[in-house]
Amino acid sequence: MIEIDRLNIRFGTGDNVIHAVRDASFKVAEGESYGIVGESGSGKSTILRALAGLNDDWTGTMLIDGRSLTQHRRKQDRKDVQMVFQDPYGSLHPRRTVNDTLKEPLSIHGFRDADARILAILKEVGLGEDFRFRYPHQLSGGQRQRIAIARALILEPKVVFLDEPTSALDVSVQAEILNLLVRLRKAHNLTYLMVSHDLAVVGHLCSRIAVMNRGAIIEEITDEQLGTGEVEHAYTKQLWVASKGYDAEAVAGFVDME
Amino acid sequence: MSAPEATTRPVGGLRAWLLSDAPANVWQARAQRAYFGWLTFKSNPIAMAGLIIIATLLLIAAIAPLLTGGAGIEQNLGNRLQAPSSEHWFGTDELGRDIYDRIIWGSRVTLYIVFLVSIIVMPIGLLIGTIAGYVGGWIDTVLMRFTDIFLAFPRLILALAFVSALGPGLENAVIAIAVTTWSPYARLARAEALTVRSSEYILAAQIQGASTLRIVIFHVVPMCLSSIIVRLTLDMAGIILTAAGLGFLGLGAQPPLPEWGAMISTGRDFLLDQWWVSTIPGIAILVVSLGFNLLGDGLRDVLDPRSGASE
Amino acid sequence: MSEKPLISVEDLRVTFRTPKGPVEAVRGIDFELGRERLGIVGESGSGKSQTGRALLRLTASNGSITAKRMEFDGIDLIKASKKTLYGIRGNRISMIMQDPKYSLNPVMTVGDQIAEAYRTHSKVSAREARAKSLAMLEAVRIREPEKVYGLYPHQVSGGMGQRIMIAMMLIPNPQVLIADEPTSALDVTVQMQVLALLDDMVRERGMGLILISHDLNLVSTFCDTVLIMYGGQIMERLPAKELHNAQHPYTRGLLNCLPRMGGGHGELPVLQRDPAWMQPQGHSA
Repeated sequence: MIEIDRLNIRFGTGDNVIHAVRDASFKVAEGESYGIVGESGSGKSTILRALAGLNDDWTGTMLIDGRSLTQHRRKQDRKDVQMVFQDPYGSLHPRRTVNDTLKEPLSIHGFRDADARILAILKEVGLGEDFRFRYPHQLSGGQRQRIAIARALILEPKVVFLDEPTSALDVSVQAEILNLLVRLRKAHNLTYLMVSHDLAVVGHLCSRIAVMNRGAIIEEITDEQLGTGEVEHAYTKQLWVASKGYDAEAVAGFVDME
Repeated sequence: MSAPEATTRPVGGLRAWLLSDAPANVWQARAQRAYFGWLTFKSNPIAMAGLIIIATLLLIAAIAPLLTGGAGIEQNLGNRLQAPSSEHWFGTDELGRDIYDRIIWGSRVTLYIVFLVSIIVMPIGLLIGTIAGYVGGWIDTVLMRFTDIFLAFPRLILALAFVSALGPGLENAVIAIAVTTWSPYARLARAEALTVRSSEYILAAQIQGASTLRIVIFHVVPMCLSSIIVRLTLDMAGIILTAAGLGFLGLGAQPPLPEWGAMISTGRDFLLDQWWVSTIPGIAILVVSLGFNLLGDGLRDVLDPRSGASE
Repeated sequence: MSEKPLISVEDLRVTFRTPKGPVEAVRGIDFELGRERLGIVGESGSGKSQTGRALLRLTASNGSITAKRMEFDGIDLIKASKKTLYGIRGNRISMIMQDPKYSLNPVMTVGDQIAEAYRTHSKVSAREARAKSLAMLEAVRIREPEKVYGLYPHQVSGGMGQRIMIAMMLIPNPQVLIADEPTSALDVTVQMQVLALLDDMVRERGMGLILISHDLNLVSTFCDTVLIMYGGQIMERLPAKELHNAQHPYTRGLLNCLPRMGGGHGELPVLQRDPAWMQPQGHSA
């Protein structure tokens, strides 16, 4: 369903070129949930945004549902791929009600029965009719993220990109949102591509995970490997150790990986 | 939410409708927003003072016929330059016209100026600025250089040039003022648009396939609107003064129109002995300008998304 | 505890006046801090950050702090004058916060900021302050301290920014350090490195450390004692090593809803909020 091959993304010009993504390649099957982990600057969000069509400066090959993507996206192309962003406080327009936010994609793509669809999707993400005309500042972080998920799903996409969807949420709310995401994927046979810095969250939601460092995918592991820690690359191992909690001895052995 | 909910006073009726947590339709939601904005505004006594002044101005202009004896243009040369008395509260001017009447009717002229300038400056500034800021690239460059050209002209001189080309008259003076005033608003809107452009809700709209125009009008402009409105209210004082200045030079309102600036102008020959002819309109301009300034300050607290007051 | 505690708090309450009525952020908590690492864990709105701020009377102007007792080294922090507080803040009790991007002054070089922090509480010459700042940069394991001294905050990475904050806050040799989510904005390996640094410095200097965080795993592996806060109250208090044996349903609920590496893809148990937890808990926890 998703495939990238030798994707390269560079920012800046002349002397200040940053090679944000280097020769990245992976494949994701339909209905699968694939994760990308890395620290800041690893390029994980950059890949996601390029795939989502938010950045046109890339070279290489990208395919979604067998169709090769070009630098210019048409409106029809947009329906199949949607995204849930990290910051529930930033991804909803502060001056528009929930109804406005959910109605817009329907208007753009000419769906007729907007009211019915809005009510249905609100129910599916676990929010009642009461929420329909609220403004974002009247919603909690978890509720905003549910609206963001509703917005992503209302166009009935095939692929959903998740950019750190629970990083800004409390732990108890995170559990609810993760459960919701798992449930929705099964119900609609969605393909997920998730980016996160949190190994435990990624391991929970995804079956295969790419580990990125400084723009390159250095290793692809499975969620079982996250459990045992049997990984090949030293960087991955270091990331895994750090995710287990504070351990003075282990930390003493950390190195900055180039 | 894990924070404890504070207890509120029990309410009923309209208040309950305005405070309810679950608005049932768009109008209720917008009414609630307006209500909260009003509550914030109300808590600022200086802003309320500004609002009262401007509201009074509007009221006076609306019921002018009820407040005055005549239209303020009837001359009575036998009665000229009378001091304020019980018959003529503000005295009479050099042509015997009742100054009180002229001030009251002049409020309509002032509001006319304010209204005309606003409807020219706001849309132009907003659209040019938001498009330049959001789209960027060469469109930004072209639009901003265009803005710079207008910014470079000194306001009064350009207004003089316009008026001499178009002929004197209030409308032309107002258009001249508007044409020289819109540039800073475009810059302001552009600055806001630049900040807003990288917000995630904009990215979300792009991912959904929203066209540039849709994003600019429905997403970017609402975020820029508050700064523009606040700036406009604060500038209003300056605009009224410029119009008064043009009137003073004889280029704006033409006699016998009771424009306050023109009144100051014609009264200056009598300033020492018959001070009321110039001074009273001057005080009127002062009070209205002050009112707009205070109102603008109050609006900023309510509308500015960054101040966190309304969100 | 064999020696007298550094900080002693009894029935601390922090209440804010808001247009919607009073909001009680902290509702009567007790704790003591000795030369140890105390972790305060809670979700947003639990009152953990407000507790940290209240200790230094850094609460916002619409908030009021009351307590039966809030003492530091025999000084009553509630009644202390502004002058006394200035002598304590940044000098005897220091605080570091989450994001160095926001807590460092963007228009001063980082070195100058550390020197300024030093000169605020000690009368030394500019040269001596600079020398001490450089020494401090080395102590927080920054390579090339001379070079970093002249950098501006936007030129340093998050991890380095936090080390600089630590340098700035520890240079006057305080007795207590309050760290409010000091590593939340950092990558996980950098988090661990910064914590290791804190670990060493706190140990070397015999300081008390209060670590406020939402990360239960981090606090339980780093601190000695853990306080779990919810709704402005302390739900449970236990040694960090005993966290997995927690008794309170809130703590158990939090522990259970965390995803674990290798934990499969099953549904995570969702925390059921019991309204009884919001009732006054009394001071027996």
